[in-house]
Amino acid sequence: MTIMSLLTNALHAYGRKKALERESIHLLLRAAGFHELPKLSASQSLEVPAAGERVLPEMFTPPQDAAEKQTRVKPLREMPGPSTISNLIEFFYRDGFSRIHEIQLKHTHQYGKIFKSRFGPQLVVSVADKDMVAQVLRAEGRAPQRANMESWKEYRDMRGRATGLISAEGEDWLKMRSALRQRIMRPRDVAVFSDDVNGVVADLIKRIHALRSQDGAGQTVMNVNDLYFKYAMEGVACILYETRLGCLQEEIPKQSLEYIAALHLMFSMFKTTMYAGAIPKWLRPIIPKPWNEFCRSWDGLFKFSQIHVDKKLSEIKSQLAAGKEIKGGLLTQLLVGKEMTLEEIYANMTEMLLAGVDTTSFTLSWSTYLLAKHPHVQQAVYEEVVNNLGHDQVPVAEDITRLPLIRGLVKETLRLFPVLPGNGRVTQQDLVVGGYHIPKGTQLALCHYSTSLDAECFPSSTEFHPARWVRKDSSDHVDNFGSIPFGYGIRSCIGKRIAELEMHLALAQLLQKFRIEESPYTKTVTAKTHGLLTPAAPINVRFVDRQ
Amino acid sequence: LRAEDKVTVHFVNRDGEKITVQGNTGDSLLDVVIDKNLDFDGFGACEGTLACSTCHLIFEKDVYKQLGPITDEEMDMLDLAYGLTDTSRLGCQICLSKSLDGMTVKVPESVSDVRQSVDVGTTTS
Ligand code: HEM
Repeated sequence: MTIMSLLTNALHAYGRKKALERESIHLLLRAAGFHELPKLSASQSLEVPAAGERVLPEMFTPPQDAAEKQTRVKPLREMPGPSTISNLIEFFYRDGFSRIHEIQLKHTHQYGKIFKSRFGPQLVVSVADKDMVAQVLRAEGRAPQRANMESWKEYRDMRGRATGLISAEGEDWLKMRSALRQRIMRPRDVAVFSDDVNGVVADLIKRIHALRSQDGAGQTVMNVNDLYFKYAMEGVACILYETRLGCLQEEIPKQSLEYIAALHLMFSMFKTTMYAGAIPKWLRPIIPKPWNEFCRSWDGLFKFSQIHVDKKLSEIKSQLAAGKEIKGGLLTQLLVGKEMTLEEIYANMTEMLLAGVDTTSFTLSWSTYLLAKHPHVQQAVYEEVVNNLGHDQVPVAEDITRLPLIRGLVKETLRLFPVLPGNGRVTQQDLVVGGYHIPKGTQLALCHYSTSLDAECFPSSTEFHPARWVRKDSSDHVDNFGSIPFGYGIRSCIGKRIAELEMHLALAQLLQKFRIEESPYTKTVTAKTHGLLTPAAPINVRFVDRQ
Repeated sequence: LRAEDKVTVHFVNRDGEKITVQGNTGDSLLDVVIDKNLDFDGFGACEGTLACSTCHLIFEKDVYKQLGPITDEEMDMLDLAYGLTDTSRLGCQICLSKSLDGMTVKVPESVSDVRQSVDVGTTTS
């Protein structure tokens, strides 16, 4: 293929998309109720450009001379996007941080599928087109970088701690990633945790019985996310630490309570640190709170994982002293193996637990909400589960193969509510994306929320339709770069298979046992961004016995 | 290892050149590429852990039919493979057996080939 024809093809495809775009906007506008979509009006899309900068929305620019289009790679300077001022107002004055996902859609509509914005000194190029996202991720080198992790590193340096998978970079990252992926990435390596996870599911079901009885005959469980938070924490800890924490008991042990407090602190100050990120370091003596809280919550998170790692380590030592053979799961293997230092093990256990709790619990909350709101869909998934397993056979990982609707349910939930509505990459080489030259070192924002809800990628994109993910046969393939909730490639989510196992096993068993219903307490719940895409209000639903 | 445990595989690389190697039964095609130091740029980035699709390979039709069953996770990753065909599989999921002896597998064009051409395009325009 010649260079010319490649470029022409790419541009033609892009042109076709543009034509379709107007239509999909209307689709989005018409989509009623279920999803609170940004209110777009014609006037908004014609915001006055800042002096000197050409920011006319792409869809309103007249088609260029075809010949010019084919050859010219445009410089970043020509890329459209909101002006610095309007962005500042959007984020700081109109509290855009909690609507990042909506602003993503709004800006995509206004400026096209690639646009630039400024956050203080930081320039961000947003990419909201599935083919461009694919191109960026496929071009990755051996150690991709997500974003500037300076504040995380600074804390770790200050306390003499190591970086973990999330915060590490370059060869350091690659070394730890290689050790961890060989243990928790392959589906078959994770399938062996089925029984451990099912132990936690059993506690979850017990807890639902206890909680719903507080509502008498109403059987409503208030704020299901609180319940799933504990389930997710217990689930990921039973795999990572090879221990139970007791989060689903009536009385939660003190240590675990302290950890939950640290996690909540980390979560609640997310926004503060976002604001703080735009505040330069020298201002810290004047506005000390964000940084102090940041350190305090990390202290809590590290302390907790250190307690559990040290406990395992002393168990191993006494077993060794007694001349016993050492057998065990992930933590044992890491402690016995030589790939990581003890500090690196602390750091990774801390960062994995941090990444593994809210993500999984929000997804389970949304699934529960969607099932309650769509009884017909729930019925179909329920029938698939009981036709395969009856009401009492406890499913294990291998059974999930026969439950394509359970897999579809999780994928569809994450498509509508991608826990990470956007992700980042810092380009490690010059790229040409969407016709623009993107220099090495540019911060990209991959707009997963926009592509997930793009009607070009997913017909009837705002509808909840788990069956769309069920394949006719093994040759039935769809280009799914529009919805990659765990990312793609060597820096994608290391906990993907663990999270899937936890969610598949819990959802299958919940459907075997309960019909999930709306109750008088069930409200319409929309999403807000708080670092992650979270339910903006408590989700309250009834769990009614199936038998 | 005895000779009968060896399986011959012909790889056709991105330049269309044929490379013939022998692998052990039970090894995956990704293992073979690594053991034999075959230089396919970016191949097998996630080390066979089903997090990417860079070990994507294209098989002959009749060989494709003989390959073992395909898991949901492999299918999901194939959805994201560059240049997917009807006879595509991930090399990390295909284990050598005697019945595959003498097969030819093609390494599809990679994105980096395209990238290179585009880069050239930038500088010449
Ligand atoms: C529904 C559940 C989850 C979702 C949607 C999710 C999503 C993600 C996403 C989108 C990324 C960024 C990937 C990229 O940059 O390409 C990520 C990274 C990560 N996730 Fe998850 N995650 C989930 C659960 C978990 C769990 C259970 C764990 C714990 C084992 C975990 C640990 C991590 C870690 C350590 C990283 C950083 C990986 C690296 O930089 O090498 N995640 N996750």
